[in-house]
Amino acid sequence: MDLQEQNISENNFEQCIKCTVCTVYCPVVPINPAYPGPKQAGPDGERLRLKTGYFFDEALKYCLNCKRCEVACPSNVRIGDIIQLARIRYGKSRPKLRDRLLANTDFVGSLATTFAPITNATLGLAPVKAVMDGVLKIDRRRTFPSYAGQTFEQWFRRHEASRQDRYAGHVSFFHGCYINYNYPDLGKDLVHVMNALGYGVHLLDREKCCGVALIANGMSDQARRQARINMESIRRSVKELDRPVIAASSTCTFTMRDEYPHVLGVDNADVRDRIDLATRFIYKLVDSGAVRLCFRDDVSLRVAYHIPCHMERLGWGFYSISLLRMIPSLQLTVLPSQCCGIAGTYGFKKENYATSQGIGAPLFEAIEKAGVEYVVTDCETCKWQIEMSTSRKVQHPISVLARMLDLERTAELNNAKR
Amino acid sequence: MEENRQREYDVIIIGGGATGVGTARDCALRGLRVLLLERFDYASGATGRNHGLLHSGARYAVTDRESAAECIRENMILRKIARHCVEPTDGLFITLPEDDLNYQATFVKACREAGIDAEIIDPQLARRMEPSVNPDIIGAVKVPDGAVDPFRLTMANALDARAHGARILTYHEVLDLIREQGRVIGVRVLDRQTGERHEYYAPVTVNAGGIWGHGIARMAGITINMFPAKGSLLIFGHRVNHIVLNRCRKPANADILVPGDTISLIGTTSSHVNFDEVDDMRVTPDEVDLLLTEGCKLAPSLASTRILRAYAGVRPLVASDDDPSGRNISRGIVLLDHETRDGVPGLITITGGKLMTYRLMAEWATDLVCRKLGVEKRCETRELPLPGSRDAGPQASGARTRKSAIQRHGEQASHIASANSGDNSLVCECEDVSVGEVNYALEELNVTDLVDLRRRTRVGMGTCQGELCACRAAGLLARAHHCAREAKRDLATFLNERWKGVYPVAWGDTLRENEFTQWIYAGVCDMHLTEEETL
Amino acid sequence: MRFDTIIIGGGLSGLACGIRLQRGGARCAILSTGQSALHFSSGSFDLLNHLPDGRAVEHPAQAVGELPEGHPYTLLGTEFARYAREARELLVQCGVAVRGDLDKNRLHLTPMGTLKSSWLTLSDFRTFDSPEELRGKQVRIVNFSGFLDFNTAFVAEALESYGAECRLESLSLPEVDRLRVNPTEMRAVNIARVLDRPDLFDRFVAALGAYAAEADLVVVPAVFGLDSTRYAERLARELPSVALVPTMPPSVAGIRTQQQLRRTFEQLGGVFMAGDTVVRTQIVNNRVERIHTANHAEVPLQAANFVLASGSFFSRGLVADMTRVREPLFELDVRHDAERAAWYDPRFFHRQNYLAYGVAVDERFRALKEGRALENLYAVGSVLSGFNPIHEGCGAGVALLTALRAADQMK
Repeated sequence: MDLQEQNISENNFEQCIKCTVCTVYCPVVPINPAYPGPKQAGPDGERLRLKTGYFFDEALKYCLNCKRCEVACPSNVRIGDIIQLARIRYGKSRPKLRDRLLANTDFVGSLATTFAPITNATLGLAPVKAVMDGVLKIDRRRTFPSYAGQTFEQWFRRHEASRQDRYAGHVSFFHGCYINYNYPDLGKDLVHVMNALGYGVHLLDREKCCGVALIANGMSDQARRQARINMESIRRSVKELDRPVIAASSTCTFTMRDEYPHVLGVDNADVRDRIDLATRFIYKLVDSGAVRLCFRDDVSLRVAYHIPCHMERLGWGFYSISLLRMIPSLQLTVLPSQCCGIAGTYGFKKENYATSQGIGAPLFEAIEKAGVEYVVTDCETCKWQIEMSTSRKVQHPISVLARMLDLERTAELNNAKR
Repeated sequence: MEENRQREYDVIIIGGGATGVGTARDCALRGLRVLLLERFDYASGATGRNHGLLHSGARYAVTDRESAAECIRENMILRKIARHCVEPTDGLFITLPEDDLNYQATFVKACREAGIDAEIIDPQLARRMEPSVNPDIIGAVKVPDGAVDPFRLTMANALDARAHGARILTYHEVLDLIREQGRVIGVRVLDRQTGERHEYYAPVTVNAGGIWGHGIARMAGITINMFPAKGSLLIFGHRVNHIVLNRCRKPANADILVPGDTISLIGTTSSHVNFDEVDDMRVTPDEVDLLLTEGCKLAPSLASTRILRAYAGVRPLVASDDDPSGRNISRGIVLLDHETRDGVPGLITITGGKLMTYRLMAEWATDLVCRKLGVEKRCETRELPLPGSRDAGPQASGARTRKSAIQRHGEQASHIASANSGDNSLVCECEDVSVGEVNYALEELNVTDLVDLRRRTRVGMGTCQGELCACRAAGLLARAHHCAREAKRDLATFLNERWKGVYPVAWGDTLRENEFTQWIYAGVCDMHLTEEETL
Repeated sequence: MRFDTIIIGGGLSGLACGIRLQRGGARCAILSTGQSALHFSSGSFDLLNHLPDGRAVEHPAQAVGELPEGHPYTLLGTEFARYAREARELLVQCGVAVRGDLDKNRLHLTPMGTLKSSWLTLSDFRTFDSPEELRGKQVRIVNFSGFLDFNTAFVAEALESYGAECRLESLSLPEVDRLRVNPTEMRAVNIARVLDRPDLFDRFVAALGAYAAEADLVVVPAVFGLDSTRYAERLARELPSVALVPTMPPSVAGIRTQQQLRRTFEQLGGVFMAGDTVVRTQIVNNRVERIHTANHAEVPLQAANFVLASGSFFSRGLVADMTRVREPLFELDVRHDAERAAWYDPRFFHRQNYLAYGVAVDERFRALKEGRALENLYAVGSVLSGFNPIHEGCGAGVALLTALRAADQMK
């Protein structure tokens, strides 16, 4: 009899045995008592909401979606997913203009890039900040990442696209909004590193924002539409072209692998294992002996690695850390895994500013104490937050690799002459 | 003399189930001086041990037209007078491939004749209305079934009875009927908490003792041919279905799945038990297997849904023949005037029936009491809403009362303190019960121990079955009763009581939960119960 | 990914095993599905409090000889005492300061105020030789107003039964009160996050000082010192009459202990993989070849040796369905009663047989599968069969001692 053998219903909250461990690891609860906490917002609340949506509490919006509750849960309850799904299913408040602006990272990005000098100057002006603060409720203490004059895609098509076919291996690169609009240099680093490893880098047929900000801002329909477009491109890349998809951002990667099926109901089972994080992809190549790295001996660096929340949830801190540890002249400190507080667009909202900085405070303190030149992390929004809140600059591991690798020699080792 | 007058009433009612308490309310509304005696707590017998199904009557339409008609009438009345106890979910009578679809026509015809609004709907539509339903259904009929919370219903009646002057003594066991020249003139009672004995007098005594009414009648030398039929049920961890699911066939085992508050219930089995067993009903592994196997036919997801507990009640059926299944015996109301039936004046028995018809049973019993006492006031319980179902309640007044408390207590929730954060702290996180609500129950709702508290508030009825909340609730009990020792013992007894319903289904996450509870209370807290406290 | 040893389970047993192995020069990874039972710890570690027949144990080293065959301790033979001492040593080396030793069980206070026997107790908490120490004592029992997971009246009731005179006190600090805005989150750990700020702890100590001045003993809930023992140490120094009592879960001191052990393991170079679950295992020629996890998906984890420290039912080291008890990762041999009815006692506080079910091992703690020991898979801690952690009071002892023993087998 298969009765009761799999005591796991679709309502995964049932596995919760009320042990309260999740409440210990929620970064929001100690800072913002208006948030009901992961146990109440998640499994406990869901059981009540199943009775009637009357029990939905708008305060669920204070959830950072950091998923640290899920990492801590001994019962594998997808607490964060339950909370996000509840917001989608029961939330009645429509996203404000501010939220729509913050969430549409690619639309706003493409506008901003076109007028980058104006945008950057304007976003920095005190009167503009006052309007954003007063009217839009985007906290004035926030600094927007500056917009590049040329998007990564523009650069790539102009300078790189045509020469990528010559390599033996191939990947598609999901660059994400941040690299495209704000920080094309990281994308360039990635192309150079991958090329040196003997891999050609290609764009997806169509790439939309992964949608993480849309989900967080209650715009799940739009997120789902974008997810479908991305999945279509990813499927073609993986199945027709046999090109795995890599991303530099841990959050984009996490969203496409896990939030698509769990939160948006967009199935990715057939290709999920081939959506990878750049550092993990490279680690696997090195670990299996498929590629070799040659590092420069004329530079040394002291850095601290910060594990972003979604990286912690993916369980992939190991790969970035191991990769960095391969660099002989790099002195690496691993910071205790804790949330920086920004959680994408969350920390930009005026009402969340205090919570956001309160959550990040212990991390900022640890960074200042670490005595390093740079902080290294795989998440772009952690980068903004740390740069806004500490004296350190932040680098992506791929940029660190690009700097520390002897790209010429590495390319030779991997028979990847440009 | 003062003492004696206090012990004299117009009517004594034995039994704190829905029928007894409903009778107390009706009698009180008609101006009688009422005493109600209950051996344990309100609703601790069959009232609290059934499906909590707000029958439309459809289930009985084919086999027992009269019961069916009573059900639908009472159903409509309860929706009005007991709004906060009722969830009008509707019900589906589904036909599976193994059932005879021809029965559907017979069924619908019988329903309509009994006044039940039965509508055949397309199986496709039924699947959309209730996604948990077995997708293989070949037929579905929609009827106005629903869910009713028996604890809330009984308590609301008790509150109103007390408001109209009735005296209600729980934990008072009737030891004997006092007779004078063949006539029952009062009762001898044991106060189970103090150990004291008392005598109370009234010209009429109403035996509303359910299955235990058999023993009460015996005290007067009267035999009621009662038939104790055990019915077992399983409680699932959450709401699997939102519409009551029934099988469209002759009533059988485990063919009703009711969504009740935060959970769903499958039941029931039916088996004969002896009178000496009725105080300690345990669910057997065979019954659990049967309930699950049959339940999965209604809603296949039950196969993988966590089961919180199993429990059993005893139906107080009045036997008319020796049918061992207990199914064909009338569920109809039985009102016995022992003066005419047995030559014992001063005693009447109200039994049979079901939770659905408690009000009507109370009306009949009260009518007879009034006739005997020469009181002519007419019954008003058909129209008068119960406390909790009277008006919009604290929701409208903008108080911070928790939503769950409003659902449980209706407008009476305005008595729940919610002004400061201490009152709003949660005792029971699964069922969302605040300190304020617990204190309200302790002060206003006649709570003796944690089991009583559970019946008033749902503390400990949720997923963790008391693991988190029991200790907190015991703390509040200690404060209210000024006795930490009692409260600690009560905490241990409560955990023991919860375990009784859990162990028959303790596997999977339910076992994990219990292991955790064991660690906390037997391990970290090092609690024990002595052999005699464990009973 | 390749390691010398992969340990499945990041609780007391897995961490102790990993620390021992890392110290010995091995490269280990610990996989942990969520946090461990240390989060609910009373702050004490049991070695052996009762024999299976219920007799109380005062001297575990002597009583261990009376344990029936099949109990994990019997597999340690004459080494029991050595391992018990080394386990204590291991804790202390990780910064987990404890009181008590192998010679004699000592008493500590439970959340109910009763005295319970134990082997080791975190130094945050006071230990007693006998209830007589409480007789005639003037006690103040202090709680934060609104904190429901510590009950002063319950503690008082027990202490009075030992002859103490108790008065209940309520304490209020605005920063702690702020937590009460949230109906559920006034939990021990969240209070600790507030109190573990130097300025607030000063005020807390000052408030306690007033009670200490007029009493022999001031009892307070253990709601501070989440990251460090320095708070408890300071209290012990400045207000020696203050005694901490564990709260209902979560346990501040237990969580700190977990973090100390994990930090030690990581500082020794161990890799701790949190929030990951083993989804597939591969056994070839009677050896565990590789395992796959949810997070690492297509990347297999390989090692010379594997340790199963996956715990009991709570952490799903064991899984019960309607008909049997399984070890879900390797389908190892599990000792349990065949009939479900025999798994339980209907009385909650009586010995529950299911608590003693678990994986069968050979004399080297290698797990048995179909009667045969796997060559490189060791089972340790509460996944093992043959002991009842609650009714014998031996859970922590089994976790630690079997972990160390198994680590030694791999040398």
